[in-house]
Amino acid sequence: MAITTATINILNDVTGTGFSFSDTSTLFKAGNETGLDTVISAAKTFTSTSAVDLVAVTGFTASAANKVYIANTGTDSTEYFTIGIESEEVGRLYGGDWMFIPWDADTDDDITITPSVATAMTAEYIVFS
Amino acid sequence: MATATITLSSDIQSDNLAFTKDKILYKAGTEQPLDQTTGLNKIIFTATTNIVLLDSSAAGVGKAAKVYIANKSTDASEYVVITINAQVVGRLYAGDWMFIPWSQSDAAGNIELAPSVATALPVEYMTIHEGLTPVSA
Repeated sequence: MAITTATINILNDVTGTGFSFSDTSTLFKAGNETGLDTVISAAKTFTSTSAVDLVAVTGFTASAANKVYIANTGTDSTEYFTIGIESEEVGRLYGGDWMFIPWDADTDDDITITPSVATAMTAEYIVFS
Repeated sequence: MATATITLSSDIQSDNLAFTKDKILYKAGTEQPLDQTTGLNKIIFTATTNIVLLDSSAAGVGKAAKVYIANKSTDASEYVVITINAQVVGRLYAGDWMFIPWSQSDAAGNIELAPSVATALPVEYMTIHEGLTPVSA
């Protein structure tokens, strides 16, 4: 069985008594303990501020336990990608930011991306399914 | 400064994937660190009702809040459905976690959660942010 793990470490010293924690997940298919077995990895450079599909649902099983990693590889803290699902905005990835989400890939639930500027912004993404 | 680091490893491909990426969490459009947090919370859900886990607020609209949510169940069949403003994001099965930027596109941009079972499903969550609008008493 393929084994994929995702670990997050958060250091939160916003408060006077800061803390840190780590959480590791082994990525399984929906409702069982069989490992996800398909991966798509890509980088795309955008030169327009148009909203486009980053990952379309076509070819993915609906209501599945897919996971998606997306990162803005830029270093400019003022430039961001707006990430959405279908027509709903999730959030903005500023330079260097990353996100990791479950994605059930139901009908029309394409993952969309909108660059804030048209000057060659690059996003990297990985889909585990 | 708060930081978030992800490490991904996978042997799905013959050439294994492995990398780590970390990031200091900044306010929107700046290199000023996020300076407010809810702290880490835990709720044990005993109903399948869809609830508002994080309420969008005017102070957070268009900002760079970050949200961590984890399903701490150990039963592989149990999941929680995460939605934003009624749009399903995905299902967090037992042991899964997610980390997202949350720009609270408008006052309806709440993050909601619906457990799949009513049998004591534990969820942990936290937001690190740059402002919430206090709810008047």
